Amino acid sequence: MADPAVVSGSLNSRSGGSKAVAGPAENYVLARRRTLQVVVSSLLTENGYESAEKAAVESLTEMMQSYITEIGRCAKAYCEHTARITPTLPDVVVTLIEMGFNVDTLPVYAKRSQRMVITAPPITNAPVVAKALSTGQKRSHPSHIPSYFPEFPDPHTYIKTPTFREPVSEYQVVREKAASQRRDVERALTRFMAKTGETQSLFKDDLTTFPLIAPRPSTIPYLSALLPSELELQALEETDSSEQDDQTDSENNPNNIVSDDPGADKENSVLPSGGVVPTVKSSEENVIDNPYLRPVKKPKVRRKK
Amino acid sequence: MNRKKDKGFESPRPYKLTHQAVCINNINFQRKSVIGYVELTIFPTVVNLNRIKLNSKQCRIYRVRVNDLEAPFIYNDPTLEVCHHESKQNLNYFSSAYTAAVTAVDPDAGNGELCIKVPSELWKQGDEMKVLKVYIEFSLDQPKGGLHFVVPNVEGSMAERGAHIFSFGNQNSTRFWFPCVDSYSELCTWKLEFTVDASMVAVSCGDLLETVYTHDMRKKTFHYMLPIPTAAPNISLAVGPFEILVDPYMHEVTHFCLPQLLPLLKHSMSFLHEIFEFYEEILTCRYPYACFKTVFVDEAYMQVSAYASMSIFSTNLLHSAMIIDQTPLTRRCLAQALAQQFFGCFISRMSWADEWVLKGISGYIYGLYLKKTFGVNEYRHWIKEELDKIVEYELKMGGVLLHPTFCGVKEKDNPTPHLHFSIKHPHTLSWEYYKMFQCKAHLVMRLIENRISMEFMLQVFNKLLSLASTASSQKYQSHMWSQMLVSTSSFLKSISNVSGKDIGPLIKQWVDQSAVVKFYGSFAFNRKRNVLELEIRQDYTSSGTQKYVGPIKVTVQELDGSFNHTLQIEENSLKHDIPCHSKSRRNKKKKIPLMNGEEVDMDLSAMDADSPLLWIRIDPDMSILRKVEFEQADFMWQYQLRYERDVVAQVEAISALERYPTPASRLALTDILEQEQCFYRVRIQACFCLAKIANAMVSTWTGPPAMKSLFTRMFCCKTCPNIVKTNNFINFQSYFLQKTMPVAMALLRDVQNLCPKEVLNFILDLIKYNDNRKNKFSDNYYRAELIDALTNSLTPAISISNEVRTVDNLNADVRLILEEITRFLNMEKLLPSYRNTITVSCLRAVRMLQKNGHIPSDPGLFKSYAEYGHFVDVRVAALEAVVDYTRVDRSSEDLQWLLDMVHNDPTHYIRHKILSMLCKNPPFTKAEAADSSLCNEALVDQLWKLMNSGTSQDWRLRCDAVNLYYTLFGLMRPSCLPLPELGLVLNLKEKKAVLNPTIKPESGSAGADLTPGMGFQASMKEELLILETPISTVATPNQGLKRKLDTPLGSPPEPGQVLPDEPSSKVPLKSRYPTQDEEDIDMDTVHDSQAFIYHQLNMLERPSTPGKEPPSVEPVLLPMPAMPLPMFSKESSGSSKHGEHQHHHHHHEHKKKKKKHKHKHKHKHKHESKDKEKERDARGFSNSPASGHSLRSPSLSD
Repeated sequence: MADPAVVSGSLNSRSGGSKAVAGPAENYVLARRRTLQVVVSSLLTENGYESAEKAAVESLTEMMQSYITEIGRCAKAYCEHTARITPTLPDVVVTLIEMGFNVDTLPVYAKRSQRMVITAPPITNAPVVAKALSTGQKRSHPSHIPSYFPEFPDPHTYIKTPTFREPVSEYQVVREKAASQRRDVERALTRFMAKTGETQSLFKDDLTTFPLIAPRPSTIPYLSALLPSELELQALEETDSSEQDDQTDSENNPNNIVSDDPGADKENSVLPSGGVVPTVKSSEENVIDNPYLRPVKKPKVRRKK
Repeated sequence: MNRKKDKGFESPRPYKLTHQAVCINNINFQRKSVIGYVELTIFPTVVNLNRIKLNSKQCRIYRVRVNDLEAPFIYNDPTLEVCHHESKQNLNYFSSAYTAAVTAVDPDAGNGELCIKVPSELWKQGDEMKVLKVYIEFSLDQPKGGLHFVVPNVEGSMAERGAHIFSFGNQNSTRFWFPCVDSYSELCTWKLEFTVDASMVAVSCGDLLETVYTHDMRKKTFHYMLPIPTAAPNISLAVGPFEILVDPYMHEVTHFCLPQLLPLLKHSMSFLHEIFEFYEEILTCRYPYACFKTVFVDEAYMQVSAYASMSIFSTNLLHSAMIIDQTPLTRRCLAQALAQQFFGCFISRMSWADEWVLKGISGYIYGLYLKKTFGVNEYRHWIKEELDKIVEYELKMGGVLLHPTFCGVKEKDNPTPHLHFSIKHPHTLSWEYYKMFQCKAHLVMRLIENRISMEFMLQVFNKLLSLASTASSQKYQSHMWSQMLVSTSSFLKSISNVSGKDIGPLIKQWVDQSAVVKFYGSFAFNRKRNVLELEIRQDYTSSGTQKYVGPIKVTVQELDGSFNHTLQIEENSLKHDIPCHSKSRRNKKKKIPLMNGEEVDMDLSAMDADSPLLWIRIDPDMSILRKVEFEQADFMWQYQLRYERDVVAQVEAISALERYPTPASRLALTDILEQEQCFYRVRIQACFCLAKIANAMVSTWTGPPAMKSLFTRMFCCKTCPNIVKTNNFINFQSYFLQKTMPVAMALLRDVQNLCPKEVLNFILDLIKYNDNRKNKFSDNYYRAELIDALTNSLTPAISISNEVRTVDNLNADVRLILEEITRFLNMEKLLPSYRNTITVSCLRAVRMLQKNGHIPSDPGLFKSYAEYGHFVDVRVAALEAVVDYTRVDRSSEDLQWLLDMVHNDPTHYIRHKILSMLCKNPPFTKAEAADSSLCNEALVDQLWKLMNSGTSQDWRLRCDAVNLYYTLFGLMRPSCLPLPELGLVLNLKEKKAVLNPTIKPESGSAGADLTPGMGFQASMKEELLILETPISTVATPNQGLKRKLDTPLGSPPEPGQVLPDEPSSKVPLKSRYPTQDEEDIDMDTVHDSQAFIYHQLNMLERPSTPGKEPPSVEPVLLPMPAMPLPMFSKESSGSSKHGEHQHHHHHHEHKKKKKKHKHKHKHKHKHESKDKEKERDARGFSNSPASGHSLRSPSLSD
């Protein structure tokens, strides 16, 4: 009952229930579930219900199934905890206790008078768990291990199974791929832009072969021409973090430039500059006396003509 | 005030200016207008100062007060329209008229546009020291010069839009934005006040004293004080929503940039303090002003303009840390600007003739800075480049004269007869000439340094500066201030005092004389005498050359070492014998000592067995402004390239090797290319030379295409040589080489004269595999050069009988190229590169594709990129393509489009650029003019109008227009114009239709309709002209007739000649004509004068073709009987307003009437003989814009 296969099976059945053709494993699971449904229905009848909606029955079945599954899972865990492979009654009892079930009430309940007898589920063979992967030779115990010890697990669980192809690490191919990928992206993007906007053509008769996005005058053309694009800034950031130059990182970090503090600016990295940042600078910072930084005065009462 | 002679400065004015206040209290960005006033404090230096002449252009003047008394004034600007007379249209005539007009308002001659009459109450106040305060209220409306408004057309407040305004101009142009004495020699202290929007900053010269809110708190006033005496042309202003950056190293230095650019500003300015330190150190003088400001503005007139204590730069100089190529350029600009702070702003010049001293010194110390910062190689390379530039220019265009002296005589002994413009004024100079002038000036300074040593040179500068700073601190003793002016003679005197050397011959040769020296050298080795027989010949007969007599240095590299010889170039000695030190002995294996002490092994197998000479250099230090063509064997050039350590020698060797396409040259060049220690510019040049050699050797060339394996070795992956490494530009030398090699390789051609397939594929691969992800620098310049390489690889398409170019018959290679260009150009829209370098290269590539016939030739694409609103580099590239298209396809429509842009474009730089590109690549030249369909009368008229009146607000543009006119038509009357005589004989109205079908007919008819009234007015006006305005005398018909035949100038009275001797302007400014005083006064009331100015300004707004003129014929005049026909004149299109005005002041004219009558009669005599036709003729001509001139400059004729 507490077979893990059930769990997975039941899940399967739910998702794949609508499938027309069911395999033997599914048949097995379906039969069990049908029995469970019957159990739920009979319990309902027992408790005085005359009819129930299908959905309600279904939900209850689901709850029941979860409950039983949980018992099975726990019992198995207990048993494995004690280094056994087959759960015993005490395992189940402990489990039930653990789940807050009063075990003492169970015999009474089992022997209640009005209980209905349910036919056992049709005997279907428990599905043979297909050998998941038959790779390699199943290893037998080495001589120093007594034969009563469990067998080795299937080879696929421990041997190295190459499931992906070796990534192409050849430099040429990588570059080739990167280049063509970028080119494709660029071409697709520009074509898209060209299709969605105004275009110009170098040929009067053919407007599509070499579509040029029409230039649009901008109101402040120098901004886009002078400011580095975000992409470039981002790239720069990446370069900076990946490549540690002899310069400290902060010197090139464009974020630094954005900061408003004039003193923090020391990027001089492009050309060698012999400039040494004045050491007193940071302390002086607060006392810069520049007329453009002074506050604007309030007008005098006597207005200057 | 008695000026001491030794001060050397005589003010041309009868007064001395000591202080000027400028207050601009309103700047309206929406309307582009400015309102303000100025107050000049002057000390008369003569008794009875009754006239004050000031400079003012385009300002509308509301009132003038002198010491609180209203003063009448007259405004006359003859430069608004240079020639009033139409049919001339030859450039000789224009140039002299223009020079005369500029002289007539030249402050250095004591003239000015604005003439203020000092109220008589103030006349006889006796003491010359009595202070006069001249208060002038003025406004500017949509100024076309002087101040530039940049108002982006977006939503938001002006500050949010980044709207700003700044002053600009070529030389002394401050008069465009406020009345002043616009001379570099009139110094005074300044108080400047600017009231601007609270969100804006006003940056100006001097120290910011305080910033005060106005009462409504919506504006603030910036108060500046400039205590150092400064000339008005060095005053500037910039207002905008600038971001402020206080220099972290020097707190008295403040930088300003437009919104959002602060990060760039911080980076670009992080270097400035070093330049400061450098100059202060070499000049041993502190920076003269208390503060310094840099302002970066959009649409700048020039990249760098220096003003007292501030500089205005183009915002396009700003760059981020990722940009390599712009960095040195920007630093150079900063260094130039700062050098001019010392010499140019702080120290000013006495006269235009002394300009070379300032430009020379500032250029020279800038050179020292280059040497220190970028190294000796860079410096020497730069000197070589500059020398080549000036030599090329002078040999092509004729001499550049640094120190023009005008000794009283006028045009007759013009020092530069080869030029089509006068060099008497900065405002008449061609821009190109002025650039060369500056170049020559600093080279001459370097020559002086060579002569007297750098130490003395710097001492001289220091002396000039310390004299000036002593003088500047002297308050109120304004006569001391002239020590802040430098003149040629004072400079030379300092030199001789400091160094004790006589540099007279040097100055005479290079400063007082124009032109350069051209040497031809060759040699023979006399084995017997072991003597080198050197022959140095000179060409001093062709244009732009002069004869050189004096020492010349020759360096001979022999096997035993390098030896310097100083030869004396004399009148007739051509041959010089130089004894050699070494015997030819090449078997002894010994290292060869070089000039710098280095000893190297050389493979001597190439050299002549009999001669010990390795190479010879003539004037290696470039201590003569010369061109040397020296002949030595190819192996000697190769040795020179490989082993001479001077970059100049290497550069010379490379250019010489172009003539020797041999495997040995190839090897020498390849070795240089590979040599890491070699200066990168030399290596770059070697690339191009190698390409040329490879092309010359195409049939015998072995191995892969030139440079390919080299490039592969240097920049490609070791494992896969066809893939370039991911970019890493940390080593700038190899970066520049990596950029250049593909460009040079693309110039290779195979036997079919096509670019080898291998090379093209190689470049395409470079583009394909370009990967900048790991690079900390931007690769925009690199990618742009790869596109340039593609462009270079293009060869003319095989044309099959003019078939239409379509996509289908596109060559496969071209298709690939086009594919790349399309992608690059489109990507730029999404991810624009710095300064849009890639777009620029793509546009050039597209034009090249068109030109080579691969794709249909069409200017449409370029026109769209040339529109206002694109980045300026892109616009210039696009315009260049349109200019080229105009020439190749002879498209008059596109020429018209370009000229319209010259008229209308908001950016001054673009307007200038279009004209200079048209000059460089003209649609036709003088020689072709006859065949070109573009050359017609309409074009002549249009250009004439452009230079005559259309460009009066921008000196530079006007000179550009003159240049273009010269390029297209030459000095003489354009051949496409109908001969004037023809017009006299024929009925021109009909004839003209035959001669010039391009003339718009409707303007003709309109002109005719208006004729009666206009003719009358014009005739009246003309009389006035004869009597009153000397400038316009030239334009009177009688002279016009006399001079019809393009007579060389000079014989009839020239404006320039007339003016000084008969101050016939009704305002004789000098008190030496006191008797004329009462007649002088045209306007008795201030009201009248204001009305006059207002009216004159109004007139300027009007279109100048009579046809378009509002037919508002003066009602008073209409009913008057038509005047007799002979009274009609070529002035026929005078505006009716003039008539009105004349009427207004009729009572003044009573006296003059009689005189006029006399004139009139004379007039008639001449005219009557020629009768009606001529009048018709005149009217006919008036159709053309250049002839019908309603746009008269406001003359003194009230």
